[in-house]
Amino acid sequence: MTHRLTEGTQVLQVDTLARVEGEGAMRVEVRDGEVTDVELRIYEPPRFFEAFLRGRAWTEPPDITARICGICPVAYQMSSCLAIEAACGVTVPEEIRLMRRLLYCGEWLESHALHIFFLHAPDFLGYQSAIEMARDHRELVERGLRLKKAGNALMTLVGGRAVHPVNVRVGGFYRLPTRSELAALRPALEQGLDEALQTVALVSTFDVPEMEQPYEYLSLRSEHGYPLESGSVVTTGGSAFPVAEFEGHVTEEHVAHSNALHARLHDGDPYVVGPLARYALCSDQLSPLAQEAARAAGLGGECRNPFRSIVVRAVELVHAFDEALRIIGGWNGAPGPAVPVPARAGEGHGATEAPRGLLFHRYRIDDDGTILEAQIVPPTSQNQASIEADLRAFVQPRLHLSHDELTRQCEQAIRNYDPCISCATHFLDLRVDES
Amino acid sequence: MNAPRTTSVVVVGLGNPGRGDDGVGPAVAARVGELLGDDGGLVRVVGHEDPVELLETWAGADLAVVVDAVRTGGEPGTVLVLEAGGDAEPLTEEPWGGPARGGTHAFGLAAAVELARVLDRLPSRVAVVGVEAAGWAAGAALSAPVAAAVPRAVATVLELLSEEGGC
Repeated sequence: MTHRLTEGTQVLQVDTLARVEGEGAMRVEVRDGEVTDVELRIYEPPRFFEAFLRGRAWTEPPDITARICGICPVAYQMSSCLAIEAACGVTVPEEIRLMRRLLYCGEWLESHALHIFFLHAPDFLGYQSAIEMARDHRELVERGLRLKKAGNALMTLVGGRAVHPVNVRVGGFYRLPTRSELAALRPALEQGLDEALQTVALVSTFDVPEMEQPYEYLSLRSEHGYPLESGSVVTTGGSAFPVAEFEGHVTEEHVAHSNALHARLHDGDPYVVGPLARYALCSDQLSPLAQEAARAAGLGGECRNPFRSIVVRAVELVHAFDEALRIIGGWNGAPGPAVPVPARAGEGHGATEAPRGLLFHRYRIDDDGTILEAQIVPPTSQNQASIEADLRAFVQPRLHLSHDELTRQCEQAIRNYDPCISCATHFLDLRVDES
Repeated sequence: MNAPRTTSVVVVGLGNPGRGDDGVGPAVAARVGELLGDDGGLVRVVGHEDPVELLETWAGADLAVVVDAVRTGGEPGTVLVLEAGGDAEPLTEEPWGGPARGGTHAFGLAAAVELARVLDRLPSRVAVVGVEAAGWAAGAALSAPVAAAVPRAVATVLELLSEEGGC
């Protein structure tokens, strides 16, 4: 961090916003005591991949798009599978849907454990990093490692490996795990469930700044339970529409300061996807244990303070462990690991709930299966406008804070969204310019 | 014929093959795996994108060799070796893929090494092999200088393994 004065303009600059997955830049401008401009700059790899996908075979998107992100490859695989299958008029059998849901639980466990324990908890406990935190709270960090390891084990068994699963294909999987292989995971998942419950209790005691988000929340809602691998779109504004109509309800606009598109609802307002949105719209579908943990944590029916997203993530950890155990407990095998998905000309849409929120894919394919067009709308680009609005609302009443403290709190506010902007620039500069 | 290996070794290629030179770690590790073949389980070669996984991956290993892209301002393709285990100096964040720095990792290599040190999970010897990267563009292949450096990085890894006995 550098701190310098230049000709009456005080510039506070943090060269890197740490503990955010990826790169980007953030600039907050203050003139005469008023926040006049907030810009979040994100350089999105999905745009490169959309071009890269044109001309490829309809069977390739799960493997290609998984490369976009090392933290949420399953989300990319699942949304692309759904979209391609929709284009080809195929619905996978219930057993394959369940196994996808189980794999997705593994990704949520990995991603949420990483964010809660290694990226976000240090903010609340007053440490610069998880390393410093580990010196005083060794058991907490060890717990994070155990929870993450349980997610890895699930990903490795169902997905073929812990990062970038290789066992997923359009139509299902290459191989399904056996009942005994799944049963072997139970002890680690049961211990994980206990520790996830302890985690909810812990993070619910964290002090959080007062803040209320007015934005609309948007998530999937599914007949198969708390949304992961399926569902249609709902919002807290009362909208409900199928995934195929997503682009009719959401506008993506270019903004000058970013090569990422900003997504807004058609009324022009920003909206939020991710844990807070899922919780607000689907908390009645959480497992009974997760619902009880949420009640005990004081979450209520809707949580509008983004700084409490860490509590909702912990509740979702409980749900993911519970759901994984439920699926494993009821698993009776499947007729086959996949169903054929013959190519045909058409267009298909798919959306699933990545750890950070709804991930939308659309593909148009030719009759021989060649991809003619691909469209990917990742969760972080949907949250960009809300992150900027949060920063604008958050900074204004805190201008009395020291630059260092204000910048630290701004970073924490950005981490509320666990933004996944792993892409081109490798630096997230956060500047507060004051005159 | 080399002497049989008596120590447990893990070679980790860190990085995302879909992100230009960030994929050099997995590329080097894959080649090392091909050359070593079946080593009776004493040498494990794995690819990772999440440095936090190192804490599990190198559990029980006497030597961990981690190959990663690095950015120090040097010539692309330059191969560097740094000792990071035991009593070695802490890795500095910036060139070694700290959070959101030289790699695409949320929790970088330097952070993972130092976290392991705090938690007493660091192997007695950790050798980090860095290949100076030129670019990280999404969907790009390795740049020419980095691709040309892969054989040198592979040779460096094999040399480190042979120092530990048997290869």
